[in-house]
Amino acid sequence: MNATLPRFFWSEYRKRRKKASLITFALFWGTLSVLLLMAFGQGMSTQFHVAFSGLGETLIMVYGGQTSLEFEGLPKGRPVSLYPEDVDFLKERIPEILRIAPESYNYLQVSANGKEINRTVHGTTAEFGLMRTQVPQLGGRFLNADDEAKGRKVAFIGWKVAADLFGGADAVGREIVINRIPFTVVGVLQKKIQDSMYNGPDADQVYLPFHAYEQLDNRRRINQIHIQPRDEAHSKLIEARIRTLLGRKDRFDEADRYALSFWNTIEDGKQGMAIFKGIEIFLAIIGVLTLLIGAVGVTNLMYAVAKERTKEIGVKLAIGARRRVIVQQFFLETMFVFAKGTFWGLVTAFNVVSLIRLVPINYDSFGIEAYLLRPVFSLRIFVAYMIVLGVLVFLSGIFPALRASRSNPIESLRYE
Amino acid sequence: MIELEGITKVYRAGSQSLEALRGISLRIGAGEFVSIMGPSGSGKSTLMNIIGCLDTPTAGAYLLDSDAVAGLTFDQLAAVRNRKIGFVFQNFNLLPYATAWENVELPMLFDGKGGRRRRERVTELLNAVGLYDWREHRPSELSGGQQQRIALARALANDPPILLADEPTGNLDSKSGEEIMALLTDLWKEGRTIVMVTHNDHIAACSGRIIRLFDGQVVQ
Repeated sequence: MNATLPRFFWSEYRKRRKKASLITFALFWGTLSVLLLMAFGQGMSTQFHVAFSGLGETLIMVYGGQTSLEFEGLPKGRPVSLYPEDVDFLKERIPEILRIAPESYNYLQVSANGKEINRTVHGTTAEFGLMRTQVPQLGGRFLNADDEAKGRKVAFIGWKVAADLFGGADAVGREIVINRIPFTVVGVLQKKIQDSMYNGPDADQVYLPFHAYEQLDNRRRINQIHIQPRDEAHSKLIEARIRTLLGRKDRFDEADRYALSFWNTIEDGKQGMAIFKGIEIFLAIIGVLTLLIGAVGVTNLMYAVAKERTKEIGVKLAIGARRRVIVQQFFLETMFVFAKGTFWGLVTAFNVVSLIRLVPINYDSFGIEAYLLRPVFSLRIFVAYMIVLGVLVFLSGIFPALRASRSNPIESLRYE
Repeated sequence: MIELEGITKVYRAGSQSLEALRGISLRIGAGEFVSIMGPSGSGKSTLMNIIGCLDTPTAGAYLLDSDAVAGLTFDQLAAVRNRKIGFVFQNFNLLPYATAWENVELPMLFDGKGGRRRRERVTELLNAVGLYDWREHRPSELSGGQQQRIALARALANDPPILLADEPTGNLDSKSGEEIMALLTDLWKEGRTIVMVTHNDHIAACSGRIIRLFDGQVVQ
């Protein structure tokens, strides 16, 4: 292509750009719709992951149960309980465990600031905070090993507990009283979305160091043990080893499915993510089909444009334009219109996504809006979109261009 | 030099065929001004299209400056049209969205000529046809006569030795027609070969030779 032709093409395009505006708009609208569709799909998937992580990341929870099999002469139907010493017992024997923490809880009266409320109060250790995404608000912290070692009477409370007791005031450093024992608040839970829970959302809970909690609850057994594996792939192995080890210690059959129960969030999460991945793929397929329809539309419009320009093509061929000049001109015009429509579609989609993300989520009544109001505009989506659309537009641009270039100049000149 | 030997053109549509030219042989020497006349359907336009390399004959030989046109590719024919032949059409065939200047410039763009050469040549041609002041106007803003003068300037852009004019005055009033004929006559006198299709005996009288066609054959 000689250097003057692109300038000539540009000059011709500028004169005809109003006529190309329909194609530009089609590409703009297609880009906007598909990018939004994919952004919402990925956003829902991401939010599901975030909501699921609200309970904790890669977490296995172990609960006691009741034997359903006879074992070494012992009858079935015996209760199996978990005890604080089981935590060290398991940690020492299962190297695949990264973190482990006991948890006991009871529904108790909590008072402060002249107010009294009833909430679930938990006793646990510092590792619990890391496993159960207990992220403190600025200026506070979760329970730590020193609290446990030094027998401190401190508490970490959910944001709703803080709001109920202290209103909008900073709760850190304030005192709460549980069963006439005062505890100093060291941290308030940061707001989070949480779709999996036991005893209600973490926002409504009060957490104490395990030994401090034992002063409020004289049961020896604990409610559950939280475990985080070093590797997600080891979760089923850890479950099996716990059954074996506790079975030997507490004398029940390791094959007894009811002696212990597990809540394996890793396995649950895989299922949940598979569903949302499915939705994401479904939306992507709809997106690709939409693009295909769009590409057919662009091809039709390009054919119509080529038809409308039949005479012009005939004149150009008659005065010496080579075929490649006609192809280049049509093709470059298509590519330019593509770039223009796509660019504005992209900018609009980005802004729409950014604006929607500004809408606050109501953490108190975590509902459908938490999934819909956090679309994600990722580079992955954009690159995938550009590749698919690029191929489609290339195909929809090249065929009308080739057809135009193969026009018979005499017939084209006669065209009215 | 245009040499045609036994040129036949047959159009086929399904089982039907129409013989538009039947064994035409003729020679048009360099610098000649030839008019082709004949009734509608006599094959005038078909002959012009073949001479202008817009179409190829079904049979026969066409030598342009001693080179055989048969066997040239589409793009080679385009190059011949671009450099050796200038076209003037009855209905002008200017690009409607382009200015007078841009229309005249177009054949040079397709030939890859540089900006400065193009500017000089377009200026020269627009002055020659008396429309330099109208250079920024689009065809719809020009009269028929002015449009045909622009078309003539475009035909001369690459300084082709041959000019083909298909009813160049057919859509013009008599005064504009006379102006165009005056320009064509001047170009002939400058040494250019001119082949013109016309129905008009008075216009044909300006040329040096008249070829009459009837039913696809030369009758005179």
